Amino acid sequence: MNRMKDMTKVLLLIMVSLMLMIGCTRDTEGSVTIADQYGLAYAPLQIAKLQQLIEKRVPDAQVNWVQMANTAAIREAMVSGRVDVGFGAIPPFLIGWDHGMDWKIATGLSRSPLGLVTLDPELQSLRDFSAEDRIALPQPGSIQHMLLSMAAEEQLGSADALDTRIITLSHPDGVSALLSGSIQAHFTSPPYLFTELEQPGAHMLVSGTEAFGEPFSFIVGYASRACYDSKQKLYRACIEAVQEAVTFIEEHPGEAAQLLSQVYEMDQELILKYLTAEGMVYDTQVLGIRKFSEFMHSRGYIEEEPRSLEELFWD
Amino acid sequence: MGLDRRRRMSIIITRAGWILSTLLVWQLIVSTRRVSPLILPSLQAIGSSFWSSLITGDLVRYAGVSISLVLAGGLIGTLLAAVLAVAAYQSKFLAGGIDTLTAVAHPLPGIALLPLVILWSGTGITSVLVIIVHSVIWPMTINLRSGFSSVHQRYIDVGRNYGFSRLGIMLHIMIPASWSYMLAGLRIAWARSWRAVISAEMIFGVMGASGGLGWYIFQRRVFMDTAGMYAGIAVLIMIGLVIEDHLFRLLEHKTISRWGGRQ
Repeated sequence: MNRMKDMTKVLLLIMVSLMLMIGCTRDTEGSVTIADQYGLAYAPLQIAKLQQLIEKRVPDAQVNWVQMANTAAIREAMVSGRVDVGFGAIPPFLIGWDHGMDWKIATGLSRSPLGLVTLDPELQSLRDFSAEDRIALPQPGSIQHMLLSMAAEEQLGSADALDTRIITLSHPDGVSALLSGSIQAHFTSPPYLFTELEQPGAHMLVSGTEAFGEPFSFIVGYASRACYDSKQKLYRACIEAVQEAVTFIEEHPGEAAQLLSQVYEMDQELILKYLTAEGMVYDTQVLGIRKFSEFMHSRGYIEEEPRSLEELFWD
Repeated sequence: MGLDRRRRMSIIITRAGWILSTLLVWQLIVSTRRVSPLILPSLQAIGSSFWSSLITGDLVRYAGVSISLVLAGGLIGTLLAAVLAVAAYQSKFLAGGIDTLTAVAHPLPGIALLPLVILWSGTGITSVLVIIVHSVIWPMTINLRSGFSSVHQRYIDVGRNYGFSRLGIMLHIMIPASWSYMLAGLRIAWARSWRAVISAEMIFGVMGASGGLGWYIFQRRVFMDTAGMYAGIAVLIMIGLVIEDHLFRLLEHKTISRWGGRQ
């Protein structure tokens, strides 16, 4: 009997503390947390960070930058209220939106060359993959996975034709796996894409643009409702800062490369070459969201299809 | 026998009591609607996700893949550990090398080796097996060697008097006498390899047929199916409880308690 009482007490204590923890709001209005990922497509954010473009607009703001390994992690951080603005591709955004996440797209960030690279001379098209061949990409449901599915549907007749060959590897692991020959192809983005294409014998089996059929945004920025509703000033500052950084890269690519060479620990010349590579476009316009949502809906990756763009964009 | 059964019943009752109360608290928190279902889905949602994966056979298949990987890796690891332990027992020279190797490799988490393993042996099942063998071999070697060194010299002398060869002494005396150490080693090996296989599957999974439970959970995560994630974790918990609480206890009961191996 006594034990039962103890147990009830402990359980009550756990419950109350859990509820207190969950109820807490961690941020004040004066701070904003922005999450991005690793890669050249996020370059304007590095510029905004280095040049303090948000602080310039809201001088007393506390801006926290975090770098996360993948969009799933950013999504989870945004659900729990730890991140206000996150950057990633459109498909993971749509998956979150479909599951009822209260977030919308705030801005575009970049278009980028993407592609499925192989070093194997035997592989010349998607048709040539044998059952044992492995294709690495960051994760199922990622933009790389969706583009591969689009290409598979176009060339092989079914969107999931290559799914049983897919393994998930982070971009850097994918590069070493491709170079060591333990995978046959890797769907990736710059700088990894460029590194791989510089290898002797490397060729692209399908490019992002070929798969998608039209230009599309690779990286966009999403903001939670909590951020949009209660931190308007900071939200605006973020969007303007991104715009300013995008313009800066466009107008001063040399200076931008110099700044970025420290961040990415890469040679300045090389960064400049990559920044100005064909297909690498920094742009706040969001392209391709219609086509992504139609495709993902018709293949069952999302259950609901957005009826209007207002459901997906803050402004 | 009666006592042991009563003890096992009492374990089951305690476990069930705590688990049920936790679930109750869970559901109460969910019903306050203050927490997003993306963080804490209702038990019904988890239950129905669990059920639908169960009837399609997905969960059983995924769990089967993970368990059979651990069994295969565990077997290879144990055999290799036995070879190492016997070699170290027979030769002082080899013992030094094996000591050093164990000291270096034992504290290394298998997951830390994963990037290297991908380079060596690719991204297939072999790599996962390498990680599991790594998780099994060192604790088993350590335990087998302590087991061997704990065998009383008198038993070995008795064996010699019977005219046993070195191999005979090993098979008839050393291994049975150090069984309890081996069992303890197996327990550690199981715990380490189970964790390793689930983590490895979460870091590089293979879509389609050959994924395990870690992959199942990872897949639920990338498609934001929180209820499915919890369902996968529930399966992990069930397997863990059955193996730790019942399988190993049973093995212990059937062997050590009966043969009286522990002094």
